[in-house]
Amino acid sequence: MTRERAVILVALLAIFGAVAWSAWPHETTAAERVDRITSELRCVTCQGLSVKDSPAASARQMRDLVVQRVAEGRTDDEIRGEFRASYGDWVLLSPPASSWTGLIWLVPVVALAAGLAVVVRRMRAIVPSAAAPSTRELAALRERVAREEALDLPQADGAE
Amino acid sequence: MSFSFADLGTGALRAALPLAIWGIGAAAYAAAKRDGRALASARWSALITFLLVVLAALAMIGALVTHDFSIAYVARNNALETPLFFTVVSLWAALEGSILLWTAILAGATAYVAWRGTPALPRLATTALAVLFAMLTFFLLLVTTPAADPFVRSDIVPLNGNGPNPLLQNHPLMALHPPLLYLGYVLFSVPFAYAIASLILGEGGDRWLVATRRFALVSWALLGVGIVAGSWWSYAVLGWGGYWAWDPVENAAIMPWLVATAYLHSVMVEEKRRLLRSWNLSLVIATFALTILGTFLTRSGVVNSVHAFTQSAIGPLLLGYLVAIVVLSVGLLLWRLPTLRDAGAVGTPLSREAIFLFQNVVFVAATLTVLLGTLYPLIAEALSGAQLSIGRPYFDRVEVPLALALLFLMGIGPQLPWHGASRVTLERQFTAPIVAAAGGALLAVATALGGAFAVLTYALAAFVVATVVQEFARGIRARRALHGESASTAFANLLRRSGRRYGGYIVHLGIVLVAVAVATSQSKTVEVERTVSAGDHFEAAGYTVAFGGLRSVREPQRDLLVADLAITGNGADENLRPALLFFPNATQAVGSPGIAAGLHDDVYTILVAYDTSARSWATIRVLVIPLVSWLWLGGGVVGLGAVIAALPQPKRREVMRPLTEAPATVGD
Repeated sequence: MTRERAVILVALLAIFGAVAWSAWPHETTAAERVDRITSELRCVTCQGLSVKDSPAASARQMRDLVVQRVAEGRTDDEIRGEFRASYGDWVLLSPPASSWTGLIWLVPVVALAAGLAVVVRRMRAIVPSAAAPSTRELAALRERVAREEALDLPQADGAE
Repeated sequence: MSFSFADLGTGALRAALPLAIWGIGAAAYAAAKRDGRALASARWSALITFLLVVLAALAMIGALVTHDFSIAYVARNNALETPLFFTVVSLWAALEGSILLWTAILAGATAYVAWRGTPALPRLATTALAVLFAMLTFFLLLVTTPAADPFVRSDIVPLNGNGPNPLLQNHPLMALHPPLLYLGYVLFSVPFAYAIASLILGEGGDRWLVATRRFALVSWALLGVGIVAGSWWSYAVLGWGGYWAWDPVENAAIMPWLVATAYLHSVMVEEKRRLLRSWNLSLVIATFALTILGTFLTRSGVVNSVHAFTQSAIGPLLLGYLVAIVVLSVGLLLWRLPTLRDAGAVGTPLSREAIFLFQNVVFVAATLTVLLGTLYPLIAEALSGAQLSIGRPYFDRVEVPLALALLFLMGIGPQLPWHGASRVTLERQFTAPIVAAAGGALLAVATALGGAFAVLTYALAAFVVATVVQEFARGIRARRALHGESASTAFANLLRRSGRRYGGYIVHLGIVLVAVAVATSQSKTVEVERTVSAGDHFEAAGYTVAFGGLRSVREPQRDLLVADLAITGNGADENLRPALLFFPNATQAVGSPGIAAGLHDDVYTILVAYDTSARSWATIRVLVIPLVSWLWLGGGVVGLGAVIAALPQPKRREVMRPLTEAPATVGD
């Protein structure tokens, strides 16, 4: 068992290392910045496509402006701010977290937390009864059932 | 009087409406009084209603094929020069026709339940039949009143019609994607009707669920494959190189699919452990309500979308229908809640039922997020007049972590026994999958896949594949030991005799393909844009793109400006023709990409701009999108797994009855 545990540990370390390596912040190039900014801006003549994704002429003009601003050394916030000033919040494809509209970001967190709370409460509701087999016995039996389920035994008693 | 398709269609629909209304009463009476004659009457009503609606749909196809522009729908969506194929599929190219198709499918489902469901479960299925008749009546009301009457006459009969929306006559997938989605949407009416019937009768058990398990699975699979077909269509037609934009209609389609996926899993908890009774009813009601909500959102003009048809009177009617369904279903559910006690409790967090519960929580959270994200701009505007957008950046950021959580649960769930596992088992079961996950993560880093989420996706994908392989290996080993079968026979027998389980694993593999395709194509697409003259060539991710020049092509229904491209390198040698399409009824040209599809990557080319005067230059955008074809492949594998899981299994002795529970009671 210790060998299996060691193998699992090494594998988990490798996964953690790989994820950490890929998540490590690196120097962003100008092109990456343009991609990031344009993917958050709405193409104003399309239906819901970003400036980055859209092949429309208006999106190309907005993209060119972003390229120019990045080359001028403006920050992401300044560039976004410029577009917000001319088109309003509507031009951003995700609502800024700063205003009340940013509450939308809480939806998944609240939904997950509420759901997990319900599930955990249901699991606590187990009352062990004296007549029932112990968890350990039950687990052993269940595992056997699971093993047998994987087969397709024609006769249950055949395995006895 | 001469023959007219309009008269035939209108007549058929008007005859079907009273029959459906009669069917509600006959089926309800048959269920309440166990009256055989009333049941026979309801069955025949169902069959004749179905035939009449099919006749109406055929009349519409006949009108389209004969270009009968005296019908306004035909005049708006067809033209003399529209190719026959797109003429026929124009049945579902606009609002009225698609509601007619919807009605026909619903009538088919009603007739199926009337003839195949009622003998086995007289009371439950007959009550469900009454519910189905009621829903059918609503849709027949839509198509026989101005709300969505497909046979409204033109005021002035034009010499030629408008032709279909240019986007909708550009790709053969148009024939596949909408009907699949509608089938998925509408067939879910059957589990819903049985659930409502079970609540009306106060049965409290899981017979409704067992009776409609296959229906739920099939409609879920059709919806899923329809969604993938839709993303394939948008990839091949819309010309931006993507396949999913979190467009409101895409959201409307994915929401019921997400809840239905949760349902398909939690059903197993109720079957095996007699738990989650009210929860499963809620999931079915939610799935069905979301199919109607999606139709309302996209067919009423409330939200703008590529798919949304023009605004019409149908919006308020659909909204009323939705509200009525939600209020009645939830009311029934609350009324019957005392009869829906669960017979037991959930095991430890490391039991299969607990994983299913976590999975349900994540699916429901994902659905709520999509729902609120879709509605939020409406809500914000109503509350404060603020104009804002919720698009891909929001949905990607929120849904990707949830999808990864689901991949993780998909790996561990099938490996855990019901009630809970011991620590020793856990280590034995998960050693190989965790090692595989490490391999997946390292592979992602080695192939320079950008981003932690993409790396995690590879790790979890390898994890799930390893657990599935392990499950198959265990099953095959067991069959070989017990029956002396060869490995391939054992494999085939696993699928044939335990299709629900092993078909489910195949579905999981399909989902893994989709996840890997999405992660890879999103993080490693190479984009190159060049303005070139005829004879020029340039490089994109190892491919050489040679521009041969621009030329005009004239087709009956449209003109094309085609850019001739030759793609070589990386083993490819293909000629692509990205084009701009000019339709007489459209002011703007429609872009049409040229795609060289491959298992490894797709070369996706777009004609972005060109020299309008001398045609001496063109701007070409080239996207090299890795593994995107795995997405369509994954959709196919999901469909295949669902077919295996839905096929009837050979009868066998009940060997594996759960240890602590009473046997299920069967019979009416």
